[in-house]
Amino acid sequence: MKTLARDWGPRLAVLATAVALWEYFLSRSQNFLLPTFAHIATGLFHLIFLEPRFWEALYISNQALIFGYAVAVVIGIPLGLMAARLPWMDRLLNPYFAVLLVMPVAPLIPIVIIALGLGLAARVFIVVSFALVFITINTRAGVRSIEPTLIEMAKSFGATESQIWRRIIVPGALPAIFVGLRIGLGRAITGMVMVELILVASGLGRLLLEFSGRMQSDMVFATVLAVIIEALALLSVMQILERKIAPWAPDISIG
Amino acid sequence: MIQVKNLTKEFGRIDNGGGVLALSDIDFQVRDNEFVTVIGPSGCGKTTLLRIIAGLIPYQHGEVSIDSHPVVGPGPERAVVFQNFALLPWTDVLGNVTFGLDVRGATKSDSQAKAKELIKLVGLEGFEQRLPKELSGGMQQRVGLARALAVSPRILLMDEPFGALDEQTRRLLQEQLLQLWERERKTVVFITHSMEEAVMLGDRVMLMTPRPGKVKEMIDIPLKRPRPPDIEKSPAFVEIKEYLWENLRAMQTHQS
Repeated sequence: MKTLARDWGPRLAVLATAVALWEYFLSRSQNFLLPTFAHIATGLFHLIFLEPRFWEALYISNQALIFGYAVAVVIGIPLGLMAARLPWMDRLLNPYFAVLLVMPVAPLIPIVIIALGLGLAARVFIVVSFALVFITINTRAGVRSIEPTLIEMAKSFGATESQIWRRIIVPGALPAIFVGLRIGLGRAITGMVMVELILVASGLGRLLLEFSGRMQSDMVFATVLAVIIEALALLSVMQILERKIAPWAPDISIG
Repeated sequence: MIQVKNLTKEFGRIDNGGGVLALSDIDFQVRDNEFVTVIGPSGCGKTTLLRIIAGLIPYQHGEVSIDSHPVVGPGPERAVVFQNFALLPWTDVLGNVTFGLDVRGATKSDSQAKAKELIKLVGLEGFEQRLPKELSGGMQQRVGLARALAVSPRILLMDEPFGALDEQTRRLLQEQLLQLWERERKTVVFITHSMEEAVMLGDRVMLMTPRPGKVKEMIDIPLKRPRPPDIEKSPAFVEIKEYLWENLRAMQTHQS
């Protein structure tokens, strides 16, 4: 309780200062399209409680997010584990990891859509390509951070390769895997909104485009805020999971 | 009995010019229930030798056998205590001590009972649920020792087990190890860089020279057992220690 007060006192103070500055500059600005904080808050309320299309859009967007993220996790973690343990695999994949890390995905969205069409498949693919490599390289880094003497110790007791995986490698890499999962989730959400904004007008992206087309800037902000709230909620769930599954991990809080 | 005959170990390929000769023509035996300490300057391959006996790394020439069975890998009669403790950070003291038993397929109740017995023996009763990071270095190595003893090995291979500890902790653990050894008299190979430790613990000291690692001399330590903590004041102790130092100093100055 005490740490809660200690952490959140200053945090809320920062928020209040930002809001105050925002309102101050708006009051001096001639730009009537910029929404006040109060307008955004009302917009958010309106969106959540009075706008059925918001929930529909959220549902549609989240399909791509959930499928895409699940695929990224299911492929990304084993890929990272293998890259860390099999030198030939790492040599093979290393340049591609580098390419995927630096490659701007957004300009490639049109090509993906030409290949996969305007449906769910294209959106899922984009989400995967936003998230996958971050999950993979964090997993690989996690395995590499395991002290080699731990593996030697296990061998000295006659552990088999599968016992070494189960008892040393997976638990040892788990904290870093969770870091990758969290970064990957952030990236997946970016990918989800990006693809809907750029070409496949559906879900939240379509809603955003509509609002900005009608100059409803307060609703644009409110929608972005709703996405942020969802992301934070998902990150907190993940943090709770991490504390349950890997309580020995150092606390690297970003949510 | 541990028997090492004409053992040679190369890292890399020497004939290509890229390799290193770590051990050359090592020849010695450790009798059952004997405590042999191994000392030598860094680079003499003492840790490499221990890892070969443990079955953790292969060797090219010569023979290493335990009771006439050649060493081809780790075996149930051997257990290793590591210099940096090698404890699993994600599990508590109990989980660490049961590790070897679990890996070797003991039932959960058996391994827990055995582990609790050994945790008590090394004086860590009440710390079963603590994580390694909550323990001091000395306590961590006692966990390492308990883990090795839990699998009831006949041979204990110790790789500078107290090297990472401060002087006072080291002295206490040496005394404890001696007491433990008096009860069961396991066969022990104990690597160290401390001359006091080599003389205080061993029945014999194996003195090694570096580059390539060779056995210079096997020295008997004719000190009576059980050895009291003040044994280092006895003339025989001082004499062997001085002798080791003369030799080791000669090797160091020779190098630098």
